[in-house]
Parts: sequence; C-alpha cells; structure tokens
Amino acid sequence: MRKTTALLLALVMVISLAACAAPAGTETAAGTEAAAGTEAAVETAADTKASEITLWTYPIGGWGNAETVDSLMADFKAATGISVKVEYLDYTNGDDQVNTAIEGKSAPDLIMEGPERLVANWGAKGYMADIADLWDDEDRKEVNSACQAACFTADGKCFEYPVVMTAHCMAVNYTALEKAGKADLVNKDTHTWTTQQFKYAVAALYAAGNDPVAAIFCGGQGGDQGTRAIINNMYGGTFTNAEHNAYTADSAENIKALEELQAMDGISFDASIVGGDEINLFRQGILKMAFCWNIAQQLNEDNNAAGLTNDGDEIVFMSFPAEDGNAKLCGGIWGFGIFDNGDAGKIEAAKEFIRYFCEGEGTEPAVKAAQYFAARTGVHGRDLSGIWSDNAIMNEYNKLMPYLGDYYQVTGGWAEARTAWWNMLQAVGSGASVADSVKTFCETANAAAK
Amino acid sequence: MGSKTSLSKALVRRETISGYLFMLPCLFFFLTFVIYPMFMCVFTSFFDSNMGKNTTDVFIGLANYRELFSDRIFLGALRNTFVIVLVSVPVVMVFSLWVASAIYDMPMVLTSAFRCIFYLPVVTGSVAVTVVWKWMYNNYYGIFNFLGKNLGLIDKNINWLGDEKYALWCIILILLTTSVGQPIVLYVSALGNVDKTLIEAAEVDGANRSQVFRNVKWPQIMPTTLYILIITMINSFQCFALIQLLTSGGPNHSTDTIMYYIYYTAFKLYRYGYGNAMGVVLMIIIAVLSAVQFKLGSSDN
Repeated sequence: MRKTTALLLALVMVISLAACAAPAGTETAAGTEAAAGTEAAVETAADTKASEITLWTYPIGGWGNAETVDSLMADFKAATGISVKVEYLDYTNGDDQVNTAIEGKSAPDLIMEGPERLVANWGAKGYMADIADLWDDEDRKEVNSACQAACFTADGKCFEYPVVMTAHCMAVNYTALEKAGKADLVNKDTHTWTTQQFKYAVAALYAAGNDPVAAIFCGGQGGDQGTRAIINNMYGGTFTNAEHNAYTADSAENIKALEELQAMDGISFDASIVGGDEINLFRQGILKMAFCWNIAQQLNEDNNAAGLTNDGDEIVFMSFPAEDGNAKLCGGIWGFGIFDNGDAGKIEAAKEFIRYFCEGEGTEPAVKAAQYFAARTGVHGRDLSGIWSDNAIMNEYNKLMPYLGDYYQVTGGWAEARTAWWNMLQAVGSGASVADSVKTFCETANAAAK
Repeated sequence: MGSKTSLSKALVRRETISGYLFMLPCLFFFLTFVIYPMFMCVFTSFFDSNMGKNTTDVFIGLANYRELFSDRIFLGALRNTFVIVLVSVPVVMVFSLWVASAIYDMPMVLTSAFRCIFYLPVVTGSVAVTVVWKWMYNNYYGIFNFLGKNLGLIDKNINWLGDEKYALWCIILILLTTSVGQPIVLYVSALGNVDKTLIEAAEVDGANRSQVFRNVKWPQIMPTTLYILIITMINSFQCFALIQLLTSGGPNHSTDTIMYYIYYTAFKLYRYGYGNAMGVVLMIIIAVLSAVQFKLGSSDN
C-alpha cells in the first residue's frame, strides 16, 4: 500500500514536472494561436462588445481619487452602457502589480499612464493592443505632435491614446529667498532663469542657514524626470540621442553639471528619499527647492492654499536652469492603452472607453479631473483651449509649455535605464567619480536599449 | 493467527488510506504552491527567460550560474546577506535566551507582560513597523538625529538610510527587534518545561547556577535552540521586506541582499531565468547550513 501511494505521489511529481516543462514550448504555441485568434476575433468584435471592463490607473492628478473617477465612470456607463471596474496603482508598487498580472494572465483591459510604460515597455514587449485605427485625420491635426510621436512606434503601431500632458519643472520657496535677500534672482513673470542665477540662489539660501537647500533624491521609485532635467539643462546636455536609440548621459555637459552639483554647498544627494518625499520636505519648509514639481503640485491644496507651503511660504514654479535660460523641459504625457488579453469584446469596449474620454464628450471632464493640460486643441472641432480659462494658476503655468523638450522616455530599455540612473546618482552621492559613474550608467542603459 | 494477521493488515491499510486522505488537501497545496514553483524555479534557471509575449525561453545550460559568480552586485548581495545572518543569528539567540532566562520564573502576570512586549513587533505588520522606523531614521526630522544632536553625540544630522556606512546596520537593528519575539516565547516555554527535580538534585549536589544552566537546563532546551537557530537563520537569509520598503538595495547597492536582488532582477530587469538561478543558489545555501545545524544538534544530543 505504501509503495502504491509512493508511486502515486511520484506520478503527481512527474506530472508537475511535465507541467513545468510545458510553458517554454506551449506558451509560444498558445501565444501564436491566441494572437491569430484575436486578430480574427477583432474583425467581428463590434457584435461582441463586453459590458464590463477593468481599468488600472496610476495616480495621475484626480485619476487617483476614487470619488472623482467614480463620477467619470458613472457618466461613461450612462452614455455607453459599459461599466468599468477601477483599481488604483501607486508609483512604488504599480509596475510590479502590472507585471505580475501580465505573467498571471490577468492584466486589466485598460491602463492609464505614460508612453514610457505603455509604449516603450509593455507595448514593446507585445502585451498592448494596437489602437492606430482610433486615429483619423482630424485627430492627427488636433492632438499635440509630441504626444503623437511618443504614442506611436516607428512601424506605425499605437499603444497609447494621450489625454493630458504637462511640462515638469522645479519650484522655489520664494519667501525663503526673499529672506536671504536674493528674490531678484527669480523672475516671477517668465518663470525662467539661468544656471548662474540658480547657483547664486542655492548659495544665498545656504548662506542663510538652510542646509540642505535642495536634494537630488535618489532612493528610486518615481520622480526621475526631475533629477534628469536639472542635470541635463544646466549645461545643455541630453539624456538620449534624437533618434531615441542610445543614452547620452555621459556627455561632457552632463558630467560638468553633475560635478558642480556634487560639490555644491546646499545640494545633497540623498539616497534615503524618493520624489514624493522630496515634495513633502519642500512643502514642510525643510527643503527650499524642489526638482520633482509640476502643475499638479502647484495646484495642491492638501495642507494649505495652492502655491503655499504648509507654513504659508510662497512657492514659485520655475523652469529648470539653463545657461541661456531656455531650458528643455521634460514632458509628462498620460493617456490610455489597452492590454491585448485575447478577448475581442473587451478590446472593443476598451476602445469605446478611449473614444469617449480621449476624443468624445468625456474628454473635457477627463482633462479637468487630471488637472493637466489637454493633449489636443479640440475634439473634432470643439475647441478645448479655454478649458482652464477660469484657473489663474493653470494659465500662468501655461507659460512653461513652450519649453517642452523632446519626449525621450520611449527609448528602448527604459525600465532598466531608470534603475541604473538611480544607482548612478547614488554612486555620485557617495563621492564616486562622476565620469566613471555616468560611463557605467550609459553602458548598462545602452546594453538594455539594444 | 493467520486471520488475525490479515485483519490487522486490513486495519492498517484502512488507517493508512484514511491518513493519506486527511493529508490530501494539505498535499495538494504543498505540491501546488511549494513543490511545483520549486521545480519551476530550478527548471527556468537553465533558460534565458525574459518578459515578453513573443519571446521564447532559450536553453542555456549553466550560463546563468556562471554569470552569477562574475556578477559584482550579486557577490555584494551575497556578502551583505552573510553579514546579516552572522550578526543577527547569534545576537537573537543570545538576547532571547538571556531575556527568557530572566523572565520565565517571574510571576505569571509579569512573564506574560514581557512575552507580549517582545512579541508585539512580530504581530505588527511589517509595513507599519517599517514606516515607524523610517520616521525615526529620517535624515531631516528623525528622532535619532534629534536625540544625537541634543545629547551632543553628533554634530550634524546623519543620513542613516542614505549613507552606505550605516544603512545595512540600520536594517539589521530593525531585523533584530522583529526577530527576538518568537525565540523568547519559545525559550520561556522550554525553560518552564525543564525537569525541576533534576535542577533540585543538581543544587543538592552543590552545583552553582552556572553549572545548573550548563549541565541541566542547556541539554534539555537543545531541541528548542536548534529550532530557533534554523528559523532565525532562514528568516535572516530571506530578509526582503525591510530592504524593499526602506532602501531598495541602496545606497550604491550597500543593502542589497540575495532576496532583494532576486526581486530586482525578476521584476525590474525582467530576467526570470537569472533571478531563478539566484533562488536556487540561495536554496542550496540554506539547505546546506540547515543540514549542518541539524547534524551538529543531533551530535550534541
């Protein structure tokens, strides 16, 4: 009896092993069959549109707020009959949750984020559905060209439909600078400044007893655009080449900027904080400058009126410093992508969702909820330019939009480059040679880009 | 006689079948969630397996294992892991035995109170514990810097988690506080079960406290010690949540452990095969050390 049971157990083990062995071969076969099936099914999709879909969203302004999103989803359901189950991700664990879901074959139908994830990562890995068919000539005319470039691949596939955009910037505690007697360094009209003015401002704030004045946060997990932008802009360096196929952070301009920041009194390379921590420390009045800033931060009213720190100091948003004052700001583009889960009905319903919120009656509420700027000038002729006319801060912030630079976040190997970037900053913060650190970064990132 | 034997055989068979049937649900979960993933891990470690819908796993033999031992970050993570184990295991063992010895013969209420106090960090969620420690270590407003400066121990704030000189030791300190609870409870129980007549006999024979502990109590709590040694070692090898929540392996890879590097490789770099190869190496290390400890423990007995 024992022998029989042992034999049975061994059989179960062997079956488990066989099951283990299966994925390498079967997954591909199954994948091919599923892909072929999906293509065929999509053609007849209109008849089989699903009545319920899932949306996972990162905290993009009010799209991270359940109350706001519930209201948008209720309107969408009333207009289309499709109900949407929403789950909220954060930037700390969101990517892991999505990756786990993808591998567990339980990815959501829709996801809201930027092209660096939807196009350069999951799209490039073959998990997103091509939504190029949602674009017509009018869309091409109305949607911001930089957004279009970021959402389409070189071979004409589209993995994201943009809904909002902004330019990332930095912020200064203007009251502290006034107290340090150097308020004239900040131009509250143009919101731009030169590298020299920025260095004077840091020196003045440091001399006034603020240590540190600002932090190059490098604990990882989000906010990386701020650290890239300060380094790239100080002396006109770039992060990638124009073709978006190689990382160029080891240029002489970037090395010069990093070496200056490394040696600058008042600037701390802090591996114990991330972008969100930096914003909190700035709001608490501990740091006097923030590099992880954009319009959503400027409009934030959580602990005080918009544009004020918790203690009531005035916050002035500024372009990143450049030698001639004309910085190239990092863009933030957010929109929706559809995961190709092999269910044509769900894909069709998800496309209906995108039509509604990106080029339909839901566009204006979607943009307002996100608290960013619309990615298009109008919706099929209906003008969107006055969408924020009632908001003085948004209007003022609009002055930075012409400084929007190249959206290079779609360069291959982005996910690995991002983690390597943090490691590079941590090494520099530990006193390592800047030239060696950026060289290592570029070697790692360029290897991932191939 | 013959019918008796066949009857008892039938009885044994029936009992055996019942036993296995009772085990079946547990066996199902064990096979599904332990054995199957374990074999998957070993199996995939021989492949170049990456994330991608249209990618195919390519058999590369031992290449992942060869790469491991030339990977500077992996070797650093291995070193950090051993530092954590070599520091935390002896400290946890000695501290918990000391506390348990001091409290096990106190009045019941006091013993229970101490057990609760030391066990509290174990039952508190690791995220909550980590958040509180993160506040205390904070570079800008943390209590350690506040006290250090006010007591004149430090001149300027120390970036506890952001400085590679301190970060790993900060992690070890938290690990100690969350690791001592269970050993203390186990030792209190084990010491309470030591045969009192043997202790009294030893005392009558003139043994002092140290001799009583060494020659009477210690041999009797040896199985508990062995168990605590193994679980503490395994917990230390598997230190992950603290690293992920506090430092993400930084600064400059100074707090990378094998567990964290497995996660980093699989979830950030999407190199599943390589990550699994690390998992296999970790499993072998833990298995070998556990076997050595069992062997030593049984020799002592």
